Amino acid sequence: MSEFSWILKGRCYKLGHDVPHAGGVVPNRIIIGRHFDAKDIIPHLFEETDPGFHTRCQPGDIIVTGQNFGMGPKMNGYIAMRALGLGLVCESMPFLAYRAAIGCGLLTMTDCVNATEMCDTGDELEINFRDGFFINHTRDIRREYPPIPDTLLEIVELGGNTGWLRQWQSNRHKETAS
Amino acid sequence: MGMTAVEKVLAAKSGKTSVRPGDVVYPDPDFIMIHDGVVMGAKRELDQLGITRLATPEKVVMVTDHDVIYGSARAAERGAFNRKAAAQWGVGKFFDVGRGGHGHIFPMESGMLLPGMFYFDNDRHATNAGAIGAFGFRIGAEISRVLATGTNWIMVPKTVRLTLKGQLQPGVHARDVGFHFAALLKQGGLAADLDYRVLEYAGDLEQFDLASRAALCSTPTEIRAYGVFVPPSKAILAHATAHAQHAFTPVYSDPDARYDADLMLDISRLEPQVSLPGSVENAVDISQVAGTVIDHAFIGSCGSGMWEDLVTTAGILKGRRLASNVRLFIAPGSETTNRRLAAEGLLQIFIEAGAVMLPPGCGPCNDAVIGPVHSGEVSISTATNNNAGRFGARDAKLYLGSPATVAASAIAGKIADARKLQGLPGNRS
Repeated sequence: MSEFSWILKGRCYKLGHDVPHAGGVVPNRIIIGRHFDAKDIIPHLFEETDPGFHTRCQPGDIIVTGQNFGMGPKMNGYIAMRALGLGLVCESMPFLAYRAAIGCGLLTMTDCVNATEMCDTGDELEINFRDGFFINHTRDIRREYPPIPDTLLEIVELGGNTGWLRQWQSNRHKETAS
Repeated sequence: MGMTAVEKVLAAKSGKTSVRPGDVVYPDPDFIMIHDGVVMGAKRELDQLGITRLATPEKVVMVTDHDVIYGSARAAERGAFNRKAAAQWGVGKFFDVGRGGHGHIFPMESGMLLPGMFYFDNDRHATNAGAIGAFGFRIGAEISRVLATGTNWIMVPKTVRLTLKGQLQPGVHARDVGFHFAALLKQGGLAADLDYRVLEYAGDLEQFDLASRAALCSTPTEIRAYGVFVPPSKAILAHATAHAQHAFTPVYSDPDARYDADLMLDISRLEPQVSLPGSVENAVDISQVAGTVIDHAFIGSCGSGMWEDLVTTAGILKGRRLASNVRLFIAPGSETTNRRLAAEGLLQIFIEAGAVMLPPGCGPCNDAVIGPVHSGEVSISTATNNNAGRFGARDAKLYLGSPATVAASAIAGKIADARKLQGLPGNRS
């Protein structure tokens, strides 16, 4: 676990409450079209609310949302966020939306009470997803939020469900070889 | 401190004496279900990783219910892929086109899914398992890990108890209970968070047969319940025993189990409900929308596709014709029900009424791959939800009702209260 960085440093991109996955994160056609390849999804991330978002964001940027983010247990948008090197900090998420984000290997923290009051779009943030530390350097605010649970760290570190399976398969091969 | 039913089942399947909400467990499932729409994604993911053998192929149940009659070249390609995948994986139970039916209905009918069981499913409507006193947990695309390793992580959910008090009036259906419950939660008449909770029913449940219990499972799923549990009655246990493919042990919550919320709902004076377009939570008494002209109607889905639902439908359609402005699609839940409809004359009733029979499965309820609506049209159905675009055009108006309400509306050409159609026999609850 030494090489993986649990810390992101970047700009805040703030969203409000009740952002649905379909329409709010990616267009519904991306979901029902079953697009799971990051390069196919990235141009459409936040397309209906902020066209061209993918051209302006940078690795390390952190999406901070209000309550109930990502309604609809879909993974398409999280695949794009991870590929872009982004992180996600939410006041709350439906559990299955959270599970989908973790399953995509996205650095995600939820149940971060009043997180949207601690920052604004463009602020310089530093988030430690393993320890739960939230630092807004622009406003000199520090908070401690629930981190990614220990039991789920391995899935995120390995890149999500597929990465976990890749490691599992690799370990099986090693066991067979030895 | 005792355990709720879901805690008991997850503990038993995980080799533990007890679990609590929030614990992460790796349960050993009784079976693993995957439907026709997602086999391709899972197979390709595993193939790319070099994982060609499943951990427990004998436990895998592959169903064909989302796109049964291939309305597109892509669907036909997917079907061919699925057939090959089933053979390569050595899937124990592959239900191809025309076999089995709806994956959330026929396993309960046939005794594959039994009280006290637990299974993984890629689809969230696995909550239907609660109708027979079992649990099916949706795991989405992570079903690939279950296929490869035999299990996956589950965080033990909290349980909310809903006690139903009183008997439903004739002509009022279990789906009406769910619609009303969702509206009460939205309006604040009842207070509970269902997100990732198991909704456990209690109270006057003897009145609900298996189909009605499946109906009770439907709407809570749309408002984020992760599981639904209806403690099996003697009648349900008798059904399970008569059809059981395996030994089973029913599970019930302990008297001192801890609930996240404890709710009560008097259903004795409930009127038939209609959910207005946009959400199951927009339910109102039918009198508020009766007379709304419709174009499209659908009876089926995992919430309303069982034999008893179609008996109710036939009771209304018998000797009548659909209104000239309405097309009605009916999708039975299983091949067994389909055969029984033919054997007992109900199929004839549907056809003579002018309904279009769809193959057992999801019907239009799966992204409108069949029987969709056009822009501006009005539909009433027993679909699981009426979110914008569920049946195709996003600006179509999608209403939801019970099988009785939908059938009566299809006859009247407008939203209609089945109790007010002349010459109707009393409907079952």
